[in-house]
Amino acid sequence: MRASDRRRRTSSAVVLYVVILVAFQVFLITVAVEAFQTDTESVAWATAAVSVALFAAAAAFLRYLRP
Amino acid sequence: MTNDTDPVAVPVAPPWKRDFPYEALSEEEVTRREFARYLVLGAGTIAVANVGLAAWTQLRSINTGDPRAIIPLDDVAIGEPHLFRYPGDDDPAILVRLSEAEVVAFSQKCTHLGCVVYYEADEERWHCPCHEGNFDASTGAVISGPPTRPLGRIDLEVRGDGMIWALGRQT
Repeated sequence: MRASDRRRRTSSAVVLYVVILVAFQVFLITVAVEAFQTDTESVAWATAAVSVALFAAAAAFLRYLRP
Repeated sequence: MTNDTDPVAVPVAPPWKRDFPYEALSEEEVTRREFARYLVLGAGTIAVANVGLAAWTQLRSINTGDPRAIIPLDDVAIGEPHLFRYPGDDDPAILVRLSEAEVVAFSQKCTHLGCVVYYEADEERWHCPCHEGNFDASTGAVISGPPTRPLGRIDLEVRGDGMIWALGRQT
């Protein structure tokens, strides 16, 4: 496989990973809203922790897209 | 008179590039990187929102309400519900007289997803029609369905003049 093809596939994979992480973030915001409505603090904080971790992971993936 | 400076070279795209404007690989990577940055920015916004919601859930004060007269006991028939607002004007509540001496009241919001619950006299239970949740008429405890927490109970007192007073809502 040529280097250009490899780079193209890598960038596509990284973008796909980030899209999946953001989709999961959208799901987490619904969980947080439900925790807010039901006044379930433990679930709300656990959701926030996972959401921050996913954001960190998504930001880390950006490293593979730098030229 | 001569011009010492070299003429400025104007880049001219070759004819094949004008006819077939392919994007270079580097241009495609820049586009993807920008796209990924926007996605990560969105992820960060959602993460901040999640943390904010958690803090709001932790710090908000639940209004348990002040003592307030609701309705005279004699105006409530046994098995007939009475709707009122408590502790605030935006908080639907429901009261039912189960027997001569027993009167109970609960928040009308289902603890599952906030739908309105109704009293089913035949079954002697509170029923949420949204997802078929059922609560015990006397205690508000979950009988069946998706709810996991009991209904928010409102403490009542029947005073000497026969008036039913709401004393506060349990959280």
